[in-house]
Amino acid sequence: MENKTNQKQTKLPKAWQYLLVALLFLSGTLNAVAQQTVSGTVTDGKTGKPLIGVVVVNTANHSQSTTTSVDGKYTISVPENSIIAFSFLGYQKEEVNVFNRTSLDVALKVDEQIMEEVVVIGYGSIRKKDLTGAVSVVKADDLRDRASTDVISSIRGLTSGVKVTSSGLPGQTGYMTIRGLGSLTSNSPLFVIDGMIGGSDMHVNVQDIESIQILKDASSAAIYGSRAANGVVIITTKQGKEGPMKIEFSSQLTVSKLPRYDLMDAETWKIYDDRAYDEAIYSRVAGITQRQNHYEGNTDWQEEMLRTGILQNYNLSFSGGQEAGRYFVSLNRMVDKGALYGTGYDRYGFRVNTSGKKGIFSYGENLFFTTSNRKNLNGNPWSDFIAISPTIPVHDESNPGGYGYGDPDRANNYGRNLVAMQELQEQDNPEKNLRGNIWGQISLFDMFHAKLNIAYVSYQGVTNTLRKKGNWTMGQGSDEPYLTFNSYQSDDILIEQTYNFKHKFGKHDVDAIAGITYNTFKGQSNWTTKLNPLTLGDKYIEALNAATGNTTGGGAYDQAALISYLGRINYSYNDKYLLQLTGRRDGTSRLPKKNRWDNFASVSLGWRISHESFFQVPFINDLKIRANYGTLGSSNIGYYDYQAVINTAPRAVFGSPEYKLVGMTQSRLTNIDLVWEKTTQANIGLDAAFLNNRLRVSMEYFDSKSKDLLVYLPILMTSGNEGGNPAVNAGSLSNKGIEVEIGWRDKIGKDFSYSASLNFSKIHNKILDLGYGRSVYYESLSKAEIGQPLGMFYLYKMLGIFQSEEEIRNYKNAEGKIIQPDALPGDIKYDDYNGDGIISSEDRQIVGNPWPAFEAGLSLSASYKNVDIGINAYGRFNYDVWNGSAAAAADFANNQNNFNGIVPWTQEHPVNDRPRIVFGDSRNSRGDQDRWLEDGTFFRFSEITLGYSLPKPICNKIRIDAVRLGITLQNLITLTNYSGLDPEFLDSGIFTLSSDGCSFPNPKSVLFSLSFKF
Amino acid sequence: MKKIYYILIALSVLITPSCDESLLDINNENTISSGNFWQTEQDIEDGLVAVYNMFYRQGTWTRNIYTQMQGMADDGVSYAGWTELQEYSKFIFTNYNFSEVNTKIWQEHYVAVFRANQVLDHIENVTFADDKHKQDLIGQAKFLRAFYYFYLTVLWDNVPLILKTSSAADQPEQKTADKLFSQIEEDLKDAVLKLPSTRDANEYGRPTKGAAYGLLAKTYMQHHKWPEAIACFEWLIDGEGKNYYDLTADYGDNFRNTTENNKESLYEIQFSLMNRVGFDQTDNYQDPNAQLGTQIEMNQAPAGIGWNNIEACRWMVDYYKREKTTDGKNDIRLFYNLWYNDAANDFPERTDHLIYGGAWNSDWGNRVFIKKYSTDASPIYYWNDNNFRVLRYSDMLLLYAEALNENSATPPAKAIECLNRVRQRVKLPTIQKSTYYNGTQITANKETFREHLKIERGLELTLECVRWIDLKRWGFDQQKLNELKNRDADFNNFILGKSHCMPIPQIDVDNNPNLKQNENY
Repeated sequence: MENKTNQKQTKLPKAWQYLLVALLFLSGTLNAVAQQTVSGTVTDGKTGKPLIGVVVVNTANHSQSTTTSVDGKYTISVPENSIIAFSFLGYQKEEVNVFNRTSLDVALKVDEQIMEEVVVIGYGSIRKKDLTGAVSVVKADDLRDRASTDVISSIRGLTSGVKVTSSGLPGQTGYMTIRGLGSLTSNSPLFVIDGMIGGSDMHVNVQDIESIQILKDASSAAIYGSRAANGVVIITTKQGKEGPMKIEFSSQLTVSKLPRYDLMDAETWKIYDDRAYDEAIYSRVAGITQRQNHYEGNTDWQEEMLRTGILQNYNLSFSGGQEAGRYFVSLNRMVDKGALYGTGYDRYGFRVNTSGKKGIFSYGENLFFTTSNRKNLNGNPWSDFIAISPTIPVHDESNPGGYGYGDPDRANNYGRNLVAMQELQEQDNPEKNLRGNIWGQISLFDMFHAKLNIAYVSYQGVTNTLRKKGNWTMGQGSDEPYLTFNSYQSDDILIEQTYNFKHKFGKHDVDAIAGITYNTFKGQSNWTTKLNPLTLGDKYIEALNAATGNTTGGGAYDQAALISYLGRINYSYNDKYLLQLTGRRDGTSRLPKKNRWDNFASVSLGWRISHESFFQVPFINDLKIRANYGTLGSSNIGYYDYQAVINTAPRAVFGSPEYKLVGMTQSRLTNIDLVWEKTTQANIGLDAAFLNNRLRVSMEYFDSKSKDLLVYLPILMTSGNEGGNPAVNAGSLSNKGIEVEIGWRDKIGKDFSYSASLNFSKIHNKILDLGYGRSVYYESLSKAEIGQPLGMFYLYKMLGIFQSEEEIRNYKNAEGKIIQPDALPGDIKYDDYNGDGIISSEDRQIVGNPWPAFEAGLSLSASYKNVDIGINAYGRFNYDVWNGSAAAAADFANNQNNFNGIVPWTQEHPVNDRPRIVFGDSRNSRGDQDRWLEDGTFFRFSEITLGYSLPKPICNKIRIDAVRLGITLQNLITLTNYSGLDPEFLDSGIFTLSSDGCSFPNPKSVLFSLSFKF
Repeated sequence: MKKIYYILIALSVLITPSCDESLLDINNENTISSGNFWQTEQDIEDGLVAVYNMFYRQGTWTRNIYTQMQGMADDGVSYAGWTELQEYSKFIFTNYNFSEVNTKIWQEHYVAVFRANQVLDHIENVTFADDKHKQDLIGQAKFLRAFYYFYLTVLWDNVPLILKTSSAADQPEQKTADKLFSQIEEDLKDAVLKLPSTRDANEYGRPTKGAAYGLLAKTYMQHHKWPEAIACFEWLIDGEGKNYYDLTADYGDNFRNTTENNKESLYEIQFSLMNRVGFDQTDNYQDPNAQLGTQIEMNQAPAGIGWNNIEACRWMVDYYKREKTTDGKNDIRLFYNLWYNDAANDFPERTDHLIYGGAWNSDWGNRVFIKKYSTDASPIYYWNDNNFRVLRYSDMLLLYAEALNENSATPPAKAIECLNRVRQRVKLPTIQKSTYYNGTQITANKETFREHLKIERGLELTLECVRWIDLKRWGFDQQKLNELKNRDADFNNFILGKSHCMPIPQIDVDNNPNLKQNENY
């Protein structure tokens, strides 16, 4: 009690002091000010010992500064009523108005903030130092100068154990996985934004984010038990801070370019293509008697489709308040003119976060609304750039629609005219997202809190397609023009009731929570297609009413619910011994009734050795070891996967005159015995701080096993199954790994500070069991086998190129059988792996590993006075990538384009790594051979940022709190030997990892940012 | 103090949301669940319509089966711009998972089998007001199941046999062609008993007893069971079938969309343009507006007009022109079946020489395009509604002749008569009177008659997906292969002991321990 009144007493005059200071400040510009000398001693607030080397500076005039001597003493000459600042690493900065004093002793408080940092862990928060699980934190400042427009892409390379990939398309979010692949269906973690639970496509505005916490292990994520098997990402948006209104304005301009293939132009291409035809004639490929009568065009399809992308992003926010009510409101506007012709994204975002407190009642509310429109791309240009001949002109009036494309005699090629694809099929995708929650809480005796939180997530998306009359590829039928309106809307509601007890009894610190949550998911899709929209001259009328042809339509409903009971106890004794127990019971409608409910629990322990009296190592400031073990679950499958249903779509024609009948049948097989997928994880970690907290190390080792994995495992085609593979509890996976984060930060002198951090992670994945009793499972490029990692490359192996007829005749197996009797010189010599004398599917073998040996990230930052620089880099090392663009270019078998500088085998210039080029013969260009495997190792400087903050005095003069200018170079430097466009791309499936099938590359960009704080 | 606790506890109990577990009982109400289906006559009928629906798929009769069956046989050849597609028709099989003409055909045939099995598994538990109707439905389902297994067998020889509704974990056993034909025969023998002899016009599209006999006869022929096949032909040609089937006067009536379901047709797939939607709505299994037409024209139309995935071999033009009709003209079948450079000279009396509204393009040189099943569309439309005649009476006549010949020491008179019926319909002289062929020699000897039938079948039934079946029935050896190479250079890639069947889609071989890849693949 006594303590409290003391605080109050000091508070009141302080407020007056501020007011006074403010008044003086304003008058200060009018009056000449007398100089005075101040001196004193600076000591450690706890021990009372003098502090050496503390920087003492006049905040209004940095040229007036000094440092404390060996006995902690200082002397400084400043004007009256100056505010001087005392700063020293590891201590809180203190600013004091000297008024007219000449002597001023200051006791600096140890900066607990480094250690007192609070981490949000779901249904509560915990001091970072009390953490017993593996949690990574990303803060607003880390995101400040990032060019990303979505949250996932923005945290790329910032933490260990997190893999982020993005597609580079406007308005499309990235994809992230935490600690490898635990699941076989979706490996996307659970996202929790201000207590709202949702999928990964969050549309949340990066500039609104206060912090991101990534819960990586079982105990951290356990409170989200049934939904957390892939980890949890908790995003907290900014809240108003007590004090006068703060206004922040920031704007970003990003200029980006997409990388290009080095493709042949028409002149070069014709030379190669003629040779491919000559070769076809020579080797008697059926039907080839002469070279092509080439088109005269010379089209650089990349030049036609790629342009400079310009993204503008503006944010304006107002925040402030007092204890009774705080607010943060923001407006975001983004306009992205995509770097690909025909694409773009346009978005408005609005946020209102408020919270307040009165007596035992407190409340909070977060509301976020976005409305956006995306112009969708038609097709994948990265495969079509290669597929189409450069001789084909963009426009050709003799074709329906007026665009150029292949012709049997002039360019026998099915490549698609990308310009025509964008102009003949236009697609808009307006979307509206609303996310909001309101919570109310009653708190009694500062220890008991009952909270009710209601969250609502609503999505409305429409895809409008206009297909105009005209063709973009050879042999395309005369499609009728049509309009399609396709909508999806969903509404998720979450009701959570939680009870929290938090109290410190002497050395016993208890924080316990229990609650129940009920979450419902509803969705509805509708679509209508109408043929033959009317035209006004060249322009199509885009209202469905104005289409005169047949109308077709359809729609469906989705619905699911989840009920969870949860509880957690955090206990710490004397800040030394930490214990956390978590339990959860979940029931989901997505699983059959008898298997619907399951329990998930975890326990974790921590020991802060550095707080033990026997621990006396002066250079170690903090040392904690922790261990945990727990089970997480997943039912991350479709709405009704265990329910077998009837497909009512089939129709058939009978009779004369003809009529059609409705058919019904089961198309998709189901497994009715689905159960929860479970992941059991053990995690051992260590956190340490050394040398005055300048060096910080955190290490994790984890061992997780996923069991009864829910997966849409492909089943045999002979089953007759259609409409997606049935979900099945198939098999088990093991992921083991280590993660290390090392950080260093220091300050030299009063103006220079710097920091460096390095993160490192290594994962070992192993298949323990596969579904349906299989011991091995194959996809077209890969093999999954028990005991091996997922997705090992399983391909034909190229031994070289046959240089002569003689070599072909001599290539025999042990029994003397000629292995490739039909080969010609210049063909690939494949490895007869099983030695049976023929090249068959039995000759495929494990030839590559898609898993990086390790991944590492590096971030460096430094600031000198008002200038700061930051470098962020990361890489993945030593693994194989299947280069699908090289496979697609192949060897002119389909008259496709190819890369400059290729040296194919010829009689005159025999090589041993690339076969002869020949039209109409695909034997050398098969995709499933190891010729297309490359080392995927890369190290990328994803961000290099240079920032400048306007000096305080100037800010003060123009009455602005802060002004910052920044420039960020994104993805400009990538060190790699990979010959594809970009070593970083989205995986195309769980079983086919690191296979780059003409994936969208990441743009290279330069971002300019400017922000003001008032 | 205590009071507050009580109030608190009371309060918290009050505001605790009640969570009833039944809130999780959410059923998929977008459609009927499988458990509630298969209860009524109507359910069974609808289930059967879903089997018929499988005709309208890319891997079945919309397009790909034409490319593959004609491409492998010596009547068709592919110069498609799509190299892999072309290679598949030339016995160059590189990627065993090539979708267009391998996995797609495989998969969609098994979807049809799955759908037929569902009907057959459930129909036993449903009581029908009229048992004859029930038997008819069983007959239809068995006919369709046999139909799809027939094509699976002639394409891949050794395929898994599935006769019960599948479940996801199944790893079905592979059977030899011999076993598969036996099973097909079982289904068809039952269908023969259950199907009616005739159907009203509004039932066209459903098989009759004659259709079942026709397919059963073809199966016996593949199985080299001559007497059993002859028994079927006796019903079709000499017996009751005589009342229903005959040759049409105009050969062209068998391939026109204006003369469908005529007396020469034992069974045909009903195509329609009533679902007129955009491009490639064929393979969308859950689109009720999916196309009910065929792309046979688009698939075979000449280069620059359609996809030109498949065209005809030149030898047929020469063979047709070897014999003149009794009135001294060229064989009209040449005109109806093929587009080639000299048609205007060969058929001066015809005025309908245009190809989808255009004239012969001299750049096409010696190439021969498929006219059979083309319509009067000008320009070509993506789809057409021309019914595909799967079982034709003239096929039966020639097979009857072949079976009779195989079953006796010398060609019986009946066999010669059957052959002559087919010849005389197109105004060719009887084989005995043929000026080009040495008729007496042909009819005197079993071997020469057999060899001659191969030519007659080629000319009568060209480009109807029959030739590959014939070649398989006649078998492959070095001598036959040399002959085939002369007619179709694709056979230069043919490897005895390997190329007589296609590679089974590798992904199913890899993942089914009970399924082995075909020999030498």
